[in-house]
Formats: sequence, C-alpha cells, structure tokens
Amino acid sequence: MASYPDPRSATLPALRLAQERHGWLSPEALRETAEGLGETPAYCQAVASFYDMFHLHPVGRHAIEVCTNLACALVGAQQVLEAFEAELGIRAGETTEDGEVTLRAIECAGGCGRATVVVVDHRYREPVRPEDVAGIVGELRAQS
Amino acid sequence: MPRASVVLADADERDLTKLDEYRAVGGYGALRSALALEPEQIIAELTGANLRGRGGAGFPMGRKASLIAKDSPKPTYLVVNADESEPGAFKDREIMLRTPHRLIEGCLITAHAIGSTSVFVYIRGEYLTEFEVLRTALEEVRQADLLGGVTIVLHRGAGAYICGEETALLDSLEGKRGLPRPRPPFPPVTGLYASPTQINNVQTIATVPKILELGSKEFAKLGVKTSPGTAVFSLSGNVVNPGNYELELGTPLRELIYDIGGGIPNGRAIKAIIPGGSSVPVLTPDQLDTPLDYNSIQAAGSFFGSAAVMVIDDRCCMVQLALRAAQFYMHESCGKCTPCREGTRWLVQLLEKIEDGRATHSDLDLLLSVCDRILGKSLCALGDFAVYPVSSYMAKFRDEFEAHVEQGGCPFAGESSIEGIVAPVELHERKSLSGSVDG
Amino acid sequence: MADRQIQSVALTIDGREVEVPKGLGLVEAAAVAGIEIPVFCYEPRLGPPVGACRMCLCEIEGTPKLQTACTLTAQDGMAIRTAQTSEKAAQGQDATLEFILVNHPLDCPVCDKGGECPLQDLTFRYGPGATRMTFPKRTFEKPIPISPAIALDRERCILCYRCTRFSESVSEDGQLVARNRGARTVIATFEDEPYRGRFSGNVIELCPVGALTSTQYRFEARPWEIQNVPSICGLCPVGCNITASTREGKVKRVLSRNHPEIDEGWLCDKGRFAFTHLHARDRITDPLRRVRRRGLSAISWDGALEEAEGMLRKARGRIVTALSGSETIEQAYGLAKLLRQGLGAHSAVLPEETNDALDRFRLPLSALREAELIVIVGDDPVAERAPVVDLWLRAARRAGAEVVSLGVTGTVQRPAGTAAETCRELAGPGSELGGRLRAADRAIVIWSGPGGRGGTLLAGLAGALGLDGKKSSGAFYLPATPNGRGVGEAWAAASDEEEANPEPIGLLVVSGDEAAADPGVRALAERAESVLATTMFQSLAVGWADLVLPGTSYLERDGTYRNLEGRLQRLRRTVIPPAPDELAWTAKLAERFGVALSPHPSLVFEELSAKIYRGVGLGEIGERAPLPAAAAPATAPDLSADPARAVAAPGMRLLTYRALFSGAAVERVPELQFQRPAREAELSSEDAGRLGVTDGDVIDVRSNGTSVRLATRINRALHAGVVRVAVEHARGLESRVQLEKPSGEVLR
Repeated sequence: MASYPDPRSATLPALRLAQERHGWLSPEALRETAEGLGETPAYCQAVASFYDMFHLHPVGRHAIEVCTNLACALVGAQQVLEAFEAELGIRAGETTEDGEVTLRAIECAGGCGRATVVVVDHRYREPVRPEDVAGIVGELRAQS
Repeated sequence: MPRASVVLADADERDLTKLDEYRAVGGYGALRSALALEPEQIIAELTGANLRGRGGAGFPMGRKASLIAKDSPKPTYLVVNADESEPGAFKDREIMLRTPHRLIEGCLITAHAIGSTSVFVYIRGEYLTEFEVLRTALEEVRQADLLGGVTIVLHRGAGAYICGEETALLDSLEGKRGLPRPRPPFPPVTGLYASPTQINNVQTIATVPKILELGSKEFAKLGVKTSPGTAVFSLSGNVVNPGNYELELGTPLRELIYDIGGGIPNGRAIKAIIPGGSSVPVLTPDQLDTPLDYNSIQAAGSFFGSAAVMVIDDRCCMVQLALRAAQFYMHESCGKCTPCREGTRWLVQLLEKIEDGRATHSDLDLLLSVCDRILGKSLCALGDFAVYPVSSYMAKFRDEFEAHVEQGGCPFAGESSIEGIVAPVELHERKSLSGSVDG
Repeated sequence: MADRQIQSVALTIDGREVEVPKGLGLVEAAAVAGIEIPVFCYEPRLGPPVGACRMCLCEIEGTPKLQTACTLTAQDGMAIRTAQTSEKAAQGQDATLEFILVNHPLDCPVCDKGGECPLQDLTFRYGPGATRMTFPKRTFEKPIPISPAIALDRERCILCYRCTRFSESVSEDGQLVARNRGARTVIATFEDEPYRGRFSGNVIELCPVGALTSTQYRFEARPWEIQNVPSICGLCPVGCNITASTREGKVKRVLSRNHPEIDEGWLCDKGRFAFTHLHARDRITDPLRRVRRRGLSAISWDGALEEAEGMLRKARGRIVTALSGSETIEQAYGLAKLLRQGLGAHSAVLPEETNDALDRFRLPLSALREAELIVIVGDDPVAERAPVVDLWLRAARRAGAEVVSLGVTGTVQRPAGTAAETCRELAGPGSELGGRLRAADRAIVIWSGPGGRGGTLLAGLAGALGLDGKKSSGAFYLPATPNGRGVGEAWAAASDEEEANPEPIGLLVVSGDEAAADPGVRALAERAESVLATTMFQSLAVGWADLVLPGTSYLERDGTYRNLEGRLQRLRRTVIPPAPDELAWTAKLAERFGVALSPHPSLVFEELSAKIYRGVGLGEIGERAPLPAAAAPATAPDLSADPARAVAAPGMRLLTYRALFSGAAVERVPELQFQRPAREAELSSEDAGRLGVTDGDVIDVRSNGTSVRLATRINRALHAGVVRVAVEHARGLESRVQLEKPSGEVLR
C-alpha cells in the first residue's frame, strides 16, 4: 500500500495475494482482503468480479487456458481446445473431478505470432498443436 | 523498404535485458543528454519527431505532453499503458521481454520532460514473465542509481481488455473496476488521482530514447512524412512466418505479408486482412498495396490501430469470424454505457442467428442498424470497435452473409477453419443455465 | 463561494439564446431555456457526472460526435442542438432507449414504479414505439430482498449506477455495488447480505425504474390514487422535509421533499420507513383508565376529560409535567397554558436543556459542505442523533474540508465525558486545533452530545474562537429530541412565574411516548400520587398510568417544530388520527380552568409567535422554511464553570448511546428490526486484548446487582477504559461496570 499515493490502488495486488493464498477468492478471502485494505467486502467483491484473472468460485490447483481469439482460431485453436477436453475428460469451463485442473477458453493472450497460445499456470506455451496436448497435461500431472 | 531497428535495435545481437549489455550499445546515454535539457526542449524534440502514439489512437505524443496542466498544485504522473490486449497485437510484449531497459530509459526521459517523479507501468496481468523481466531490469537500474529520484511502480492488471483504454486504466490503477471516464476532463488536466497525467503506450515510450539519440530530424527521415519513424508490426493468422517485425512506417502491406511473412501457407488464397487489430475495419486483397502508415490506412477505410496485422485465408467463414469478434467485445464490454453493454450482446445474438441459418434478410438489415445505433454513441471506443468488424465484414463480404440466409445454414458446411470455435462468453452461458448469476 | 463574481456566458440551445452562469451544466442550462434534456444516470447530488446511460446525447456545434450534455458545462458561444431540433440527437436518444428496453421486462402492469416512472415517460417522449428484439430477454430470480425494506429486481435494472454511486459517494457505506462486467453486470450486496445502513432507502427514490422498490409500498397504491401531503419528519432534530403519500386516509409511504439547506433530498431509513407505527397493533385509540394494577379499560372522552379535570384539581400546586420534546410547539404551548396559567403548575421536566446561546452562530446545515474545517466534540455519534448531518459531514470531507472529531470514538480519541474540557482546551491559547479554527475562513464546531447544557458550552467555545464574526462559520448543537427547543420555549412563554416545589407530587402529567418510556420519568411516576399520560402505544402505558389519553404521531398533526438550526418548520396533518389531536382536548380542558386556548394550531401559533417569534406568520414559514438570520452578537457564556467530574473508580466506565433505530416507533416496524442495535458491548482493541476477549465472545456486564449478557464487539475507534452499549441493552446498569465471563470469572 505504501507504493501508492492512494492506498486503494493496492486493491488489485491485495486481491491477487489473497487468491494465491486461498486458491480462490472465497467470501472469507474477500473479507480478509477488505479488512486489510480498509474497504468493505462488497467493494472487494465488486472489483474482483470485474477481472478475468480473479476467481470467485473454487478452481483447480492448476489452470490450462487456451486462447480462442481470432488469430489463434485461424490456425486451429478449437482443435487444441478439444484435444485438452479429451485428454482431461472435461469440457472447457470445468474442473477435473480431482480438483487439479481447470480448463478454460480465454481471449487474446498476446502471443498471436506463435498461435495457438496456451497459458499453463500463468506461463505461456506457444505454439501448441493438438499433438502437444498430451505432453502438456502429462507434465502438469507429474508436477502435482 | 528495409527492416529498421529503432525500438528493437540491437536486441537480436545482444541480451538487452541486462543493464551492462544495454549500456554497451549506448543505453541510458539518451537519458544523460535529456537530463541536461529543459523539459520544453525534450517536448520540442518529440513534437518535431511527430511521434504518433503507438497504442492505437495515433495521437502525437509531443502534443499530448504539452497539454499537461502546468499550474496544478498536484503532482504530475506518467502512466505507461502496457495492457496490450488487442487481438492480434503482441508487440509490447516483445519490447518488454527483449528491451526492458529501453522502456525504462524512455520512462525516465519522459518523466523529466513532463516534470514528473512518479511513473506507473500498468502491465496486463497475464504477462507474468514480462513483469518479472521488467522488475529485474528495474532493480538493476535502482542499484546503478540511474533513477534520479523518479519512482517507477510496476502495477499488474488482472485481465480486462477495457483497461487498455486510458481512462479505464486510470480507474483500475486507482484500485477500482476499470470503467472509462467521460472526457472532458482530460487526463493531462485531471488524470490519475485527479492529477495531471501523461499516458502513453509501451512502444511509444520505448521509442523516446532513440529519438533523443538520433535527433528528431534523423528520426523523421524514417517512415513517411505524416507518420515518421518505425513501428513494430505483429503479423499473425494464416501466414508462413508470423511474428513481430519492426518496419519503417509506409512499408506496403503486401511486403509485410509476402516478402517478410512468407505469404499464405498450404497453397491457400488470401481472403481478408485486418491491419490494426480486431477492432479496425477489414481490408480485402485488392488493397494489398496500401502503405502501412496512419494516413494511408485511413484512406483505405480502416485504421492503423495497434499495427497488428491478421491474415485470413479462404477457408474462413466471415460470419463465424464476425461472431467470434462480437463475442470478444461482449465479453470485454465494461457495462457502463448502454449502447455497448446492450448492443454487443444483441450483435452476438443476431450473428448466432445468422450463422445458425435461422436469420432472414431483414435480420441482416437489423444487424447493420444495431451497428449504426452503437457507433459514435458509446462512452469509449470499445463500442465503435465492436461495430467495425461486423459492419466491415458485412460491407466487404455481404454475399457470404446473404448465403447463410438463403441456404439456411453456413455455406462452409462445417469446414470453415474456425468452425465451432468456443468463446469465453459461451462458458458463462453454460454457467448461467445452471443458475449462477455470477460470471 | 457567494462572494465570487459569477460570470455569465451566452449560448444557444435549439436556436434559443440564453445567458447562464459560466460552468452551469448543460442539462440545467437547457432547462433555463425551457428545453428538456432527458437523463437517467445524471444526478448532481451523487458527484461528478458519469456519462453512462447516454440518454442525454446532443449535438454540439464544432464536434462531430454526439456528446452527453450531462458531462459538459456552459461555455460562451456554445451552440447545442437537442433532440428537439437535431435528427442525429433524436436518433441517438431513441437508440439509447431501444437498447435499455431490449432486455427490460414488460412488468409495467405489476411494477410499483408505473405511473411515476422516468423510463416510461422518456420512452413515450423520445423512444421507439415498437420493439425489434426477438430473442428471449435475459432473466433473473426476482425480486430479491436487498434488505427487509428494499426489494431488488435485476431484470428491470437499467444499470444507471445511481444506487451504487449513492452507496459509494454519498452514504459511503460501500455496501451496494455492481458485480461482474458488461452485460452480465448485476447490482448486489456482499454475498447477498442485507443492505444495512442508515440511508439505504434513498436508493428507492434514486432508482429511475422499478428495480429498487420499497417492500412496505409493494402493490399498495398507484400514483394517481394517492395524495401527497408536504410535511416535516418529526423523528430527530434535523427536521427533514418530507412528502407523505396517502391513500384512503392511510400513509402509504414517506418520500423526501428536498430542502436544499437541510436535507438536500435525502432521508434516513428511520424517517422513511418508520411511518407504519401509525398502524401498530397496540395503538391506543380511546382514552383508558387504569383498572386494578395492570389493567386498562376504555372510557369515553367525556369521561376521560372529567377524570382528567378531577385529577388536576385534586393535585393543584403539586403537578409536574414531563415533556417528550416531540410535541409540536402548539401542543406544548397549549399544555403549558393549561397547566401554568390554569393551575399554577410550573414544574416541568424538560427532556433536555435548551437555550438560544447558539443563535449568534446560526447557519444552514448546507454550510457544512462549504466549510474548510469542522470540529465535532462529544461522545454521541452524529449519525445516531441527527443522521442527515452525518451525510453533510461526509459531503464536506469529499469537498476537501478537514473534519476532526474529539470524543470517545473520535478521530482524536478522548476519554468519555470530557467534551466540556475539550471545549475549554480548544478555546485556550495553547490549542493547535483551536488556532486553526480561528484562522480558517469557514470554520464550524459541532457538539454531538450528550449533555452540553443546551449548547451553552459550545457557544462559549464558538464565541472564544470568534465564529460569530465570520461568514460561513458557526456552530451546531445536536439536541436529543426533535423539538426540544420549541417545546422548551413554548413552555417558558406561557408564564413568567417561578417554579414552586411540587413535592410531594400529586399528579405527574406525562406527555408523549419518549417521556413515557424514560426511566427517569417512570421513577417520578413511582413517587407521584397519580399519573396522567398521553401516549400512542398500550405497552408504554400499562401498569403505571392512571389515565391514558391517546397520543398522535407527527404525521397526524398540524403544527410547528424548531429544528437544530433554529429553523421553524410547518408540520401538516397527512392523515386524520384515530383520536383527537392533543391540542383539541387540551383546549377543552383549558376551558374548564378558565384558560383561553384555541384548538386550532394556526391560531395558537399566531399567539405564541407574537410573544416570542417576533410575529412571524405561518405563511412566511411556508413549505420550504427559511432560516432566520443569526442573532446579534452578545457576550459569550462562561466556559469556566466546572461540570461534575467523574471520580476515578474501579471497573470500566459504561457509556451508553441512543441508537438511531430505537424508540417506540421503530420497535413497531418489522422492516427496521434488522437495523436495531445488536446486543453488543463495544470494547477498544486495547481493552479486549488486555481482558482476553475477542469479537463475539459472550460477556456479562455487571453493576450493583444488575447483570446484562452481551456479545463483545471490538471497536477500533473506541477509547480505552470504556464499554459502549446501546441504551436499550443497558437498562439498570450504572456508569461503572465490571465485566465477567459467563463462568463468573471477572475480567481485569
């Protein structure tokens, strides 16, 4: 909070920290954040819900996010997404039964030159072809 | 025109993430010179160079800096817009990843030019690696005592395209929902924390050291008169060699796509080109000779935008592409103003109907009418951006839309290159069908 | 500021030339020209305009794109064309309405807003006649109770954000927010917890559609069936201007009538929702006589007046009157005339000390917003005593004023009960804050209570600081009762004679619910031989009053009140009470004792006004009462008189406060029960740490044989050494208390 002339600016960093600690922004996490910032929990919930990277519902320990925006779509992002769906046994937007992986489709991640871009736990994998999918999932599973 | 190297100069030969390497090619020399100049002199150089903002709007940087309110009792802030989220653009990412010091140097020079000692770099939340690179570079700068009393705060976003809009960025930086502000008042007068603020794109700021180093006259020799200098073009889509290429402004589109980009792979034919990111009107192959500069592209009926060139081949259904674009804008609409909030949703509904083959000819007219009713009426440009893909694809590929109506289905019969592409908004639909009100 | 030269600019709107002050909003400038520019999200009281709804799109000459009139201000030479003369603007406004309506449900037949709905009205005037939307509209579960008093219908919501901006930037409670993004945005509270606050009801009036509605008013009436009666809220000393909507002789709702100097269009939830106490089940409508110990039996009015006369005569010379401070001036004067002139009964227990010491420092409440420095002294929170004053203080802070509070929960913490000392300190030469008050251009001091000797101590401070010389500077004393000063003045005006010793008390006359509920008055009643009480509710009368006469509510009386500014305001009878007005039977009784008293409030006012208000007429007071000028400077009261000091004694000091949501009226309103103070004992974090208790821990607060079980609540702003409890949970406790765990273990 000290980095900013207005402590309210620390809201996004604070929410990020709370999410890292709790896994997702549960009501508890939001209350904690609110207390630390001197804001109301409603305010924190309102801000968090605006941004795609904040999760107000439980999510898997790992995230696999496939970009399906224009440039990636043009070179086969849908096939990559479907390959992940098959490999993980879930549809996009869902989390695996064991709570390990959440699969999502996302908007432009900024890697269009090396499409299809897949973001695995905040790190970019690019380009990804359907045949790379099994390897990526395997790597992730091996981590856990 | 040859490929030029201004913003990405020396990045191929050396690891410019390291301060020593950057200094070895003259890095922070421009800063030293700049600190010996008066702020007005620096602004004069920038104005003389006619550096146009590389974030998308193309507003002259020098003129922007001269608008900073000088009589305010409040501190002046410099905000760097590193929220690159325009579909097709990935140039700022490369600049931050490969020449972070050039950006930092640009920040320090610009800060001096506007009398600011407080810089905020708003970097899109997804760019974690780039954030780390910048953070390390900044630490090097701090250790080397180069900051000169200027604080640079790296502030991470959290995933919202609208936060690339400068006033929405300010609200997000202030810890709020990223909603754009009405203008007037303008940021140079009332910006961050209601104080005079200069906001510029990463590339714009990263160009500043070279302008000071070369001098505005030399810099202005590059490119074309109305758009001097270079730009990093992000080439993507159906091309052999997608990637970032720094070129002099005025390079013909054809040269980028064919000579540098290697043309269309797999023997397909080129069908359409979006020259400046998904938010600008589409161009057709007959316009391949358009020079890549602000004025020429505008004359061709589109916009320079973020210099993100997306190439589309003939396997792509333009209705599907319009739908995918519309879904993007619906997802990213902040919801503050009525036409964008309601209009982007309506556009998606209409395009779904057309793609599904359930539409009539009057639906096509309705689609254009809705576009017309959003255009120019929204609080910020996102409304217009949502309209341009739809209205320009309709204008240039009307026959394809008509065919959907006539045939009661997609003429690509499931073979379009983007067939079945799933958009994030659809995932929300799935959730809300199960009763949840939250996204 | 009033002194600055206001520059005029000339501009053209739809071809009409007008001259307006420079910087005036375009919407207002158009209004000056007699042209309507339609708006939804624009509401100047919520802060700077947001330009969100796009309803006010206009063409500005020289600008290619349509602009929102609400975000622009009048500049010299501007030429504007609204929908009246611009096809483009008309199309833009039509587009806005079409977009609002594509997902707006066809609820008009069942929507409370119908008939007084800006969306309906503007659609008629500027919108499309038919829909082109063929897709299913998006739906929500509806209505959702945002709180027991407010219902939210998300389908109707047009996302103008007025409600969230109110929550963020006016009441600053941060509870009503917008969640999600884009078309998925919804208005919500945190985890669907109720919207708990003092001002939540204002969002109902702010909402331009039927998305936020009053649960009390749901399906109760249509706008063409109601009669709106202008009056004044009688529940606190602010005296907000209200409108009571009545249908078939019953009050259906209370709205703000917007007095720009007093309330600026806001109401607190008590003033807005408490009116249903008029129909409480235990409302007394007939005179009652005590039967046996705890019984009451109804008698006729003739019988009651006979009885009352008898009681008065019997006790002649030994009568004490306990007043509530919520009587109208006319009622109080009538009672005073009867008792003082008719019976020589001069002893009165006034609810609080009042005087005119602060008249020299008189200011309208709106002056708070213009202030540079505001200092509040006292332990009672402003928001509990005079809620709308709290809104003005927040507005002041937002406008750049520095607001300092000195008290047990102040920004500067002081031990409890030291407000008088604080005043002396501030007036003294060594005080830094005092010096700043003297130096500031617009300085205001406030005494929030308790005590304060009617404002005398504050007047001493204000005088020492020189605030009566300065423009826009002054002082406010927050009384504990809505009309304490008016009642006190009226009582005093009835006679000049001194109060004789009434002991032993032959008759205690209790006027009003507040007096009837007051433990001090009840204690007097124990000593009195007989008791005559006027009250609205049975439970307040049972077991101690011998004769009970039905009371009326402020909503049922014609009369005047004097608010904390010193402003006289007219109450109007909004509905006919189920029993005669107090003044009516007081006049009848007065007759029996040879006192001439008119039963008509207007005539009583005339008489009293000639005596003490320099003959000001009801017509001058009007519907939006003016504030009389400040009184002439006089010598300041002496601050040096030493009030009784608390003797240092073992245990914690108990500080009680009267919560806003308390009192007989509030107790009878189901929708307000969730706002009543929790059974809590507030402790500072220091004391909690020292005693080893934390939030939620159950403790017993004990003094001299009385023990009350409460839950601990840590209040970071609270000064150490104090336990703070709402008065209604602290009955029987004395000022020094001991805290114990339920096990009996004493906490030290």
